[in-house]
Amino acid sequence: MTLLIKDEYPEKLFREDGKRLDGRDLKELRPIKLEVGILNNADGSAYLEWGNNKIFAAVYGPREVHPHHLAKPDKGILRVFYRMATFSVFERKRPAPGRREKEISMIITDCLEPVLFLELYPGTSFEVFIDVIEADGGTRCASTTVAALALADAGIPMKSLVTSVAVGKIDGKIVVDLSGIEDKAGEADLPCAITWFNEEISLLQFDGDMDLNELDTFLKLAKDALKEIYEMQLNALKSKYITIQEKYNGGQVKQ
Amino acid sequence: MENDELDSEEFEDFEDEEFTRDLVVPGEILTEDIENFLPGRGTILNEKKDKIISLNIGLKKITKNYINVIPLRGFYTPRPGDKVIALIVDKNPVKYRCDINAKDFAILKPKNTYKRSKIKTRGRIEKDIGDTSTEKYSIGDILITKIISADRLNMPELTTVGKYLGKRSNGIVISIDTPKIPRVIGRSGSMIKLLKNLTKCHIFVTQNGRIWLKGEDLAHEKLLIDAIKKIEKEAHTVGLTDRMSEYIENEKKKRGIN
Repeated sequence: MTLLIKDEYPEKLFREDGKRLDGRDLKELRPIKLEVGILNNADGSAYLEWGNNKIFAAVYGPREVHPHHLAKPDKGILRVFYRMATFSVFERKRPAPGRREKEISMIITDCLEPVLFLELYPGTSFEVFIDVIEADGGTRCASTTVAALALADAGIPMKSLVTSVAVGKIDGKIVVDLSGIEDKAGEADLPCAITWFNEEISLLQFDGDMDLNELDTFLKLAKDALKEIYEMQLNALKSKYITIQEKYNGGQVKQ
Repeated sequence: MENDELDSEEFEDFEDEEFTRDLVVPGEILTEDIENFLPGRGTILNEKKDKIISLNIGLKKITKNYINVIPLRGFYTPRPGDKVIALIVDKNPVKYRCDINAKDFAILKPKNTYKRSKIKTRGRIEKDIGDTSTEKYSIGDILITKIISADRLNMPELTTVGKYLGKRSNGIVISIDTPKIPRVIGRSGSMIKLLKNLTKCHIFVTQNGRIWLKGEDLAHEKLLIDAIKKIEKEAHTVGLTDRMSEYIENEKKKRGIN
């Protein structure tokens, strides 16, 4: 039995008081919660809640490459497996990896590769498994952000973290961090990622229509948002150890 | 048991109490003063060569004019001379394959499992007496071994000939995070001596993150394992050795063991 519900989008994506449908301002991010080291059996792991998105990332490596023909004699390889759970979206998603998932896996790989020293680990692979438990727009950005954290948690040498966010245009206004409904009903969508060691763009995709002159505004807005998320990433990485340090009050056991 | 002979030079990382307990993460700027400081372990210069940045999540440590980052997480990279606990996973007539908690399996050749004894037969030929078959050990055996050779490309090679090396047929092997091994040993072996004295267990700590231990009974072994897990969790805090002795004494009273 299939339930037929048409995809209906609201006509206006702004409320009467000028805020977005979920009550955010134009440049406001959805609430983000980041945690590292939550999976015991992975070498490194991280968990992210970004609005309604819920994503796990697990990292293994360096380890042997399977299938063996993928191994490169002069450098290691990074493999990313982005998968969505069947229950992550409204209509059941078929569990086999589709075209979209393979593409997102590939772009995340390309996005993360510049920060790693793969040439130091010839013949091996680093594997990142990203599982989207619940999806509500912007999962590729969220996945990149959480995958970088998981890599850092695994103790793999990195030049810096990678942060990602989407900017877009809805109802003629430029907004930051599009939710699922804004992504579908809006005019333009521009996910971008940054590597912080050289502050270069590591991922830039575009969908929709907008004026080319607006691109600078888009990127400027994105960078402000990225800085905000980067701070959260740093805090998430450190808090795991700082809480233990503080418990012992700098070495002195509290009486 | 026989851990005192482990080179204390290997475990310099946590030796000095002077270094700051600053927690740094990958990409964090350690200093912009590149005239007085040089990038040490776990750090690099950025592309413009005006900043030193961290590569790992760890603790910042300054020795002389080098800035180092002691990692808190990481994997084991085999180096020649390391003592490691190996598990035999496969064997064929010419070699054993061992899991040493590194990216590659290690190889143990039969010629490295027998002590070579030379016999002079009437001063003529020097004869090597050593078995060349892989019958000495079987799959699933736990060995304490030493690495003879290791590099980035080839599989590391092991030997079981040497003091304290060889098969262990009893005891328990546990595994902890590799970067925290120096903390289990402590400054010039202080922590391991404390653990040995208080729990009356034999311990052998190896660089690949595995620890072999054997105590009088299961209660003592359990206590020791709990203590090691506590050290692993709190490796980046100050005054750990004092806290550990307190912890073990308290736990002994709680569990009713001497």
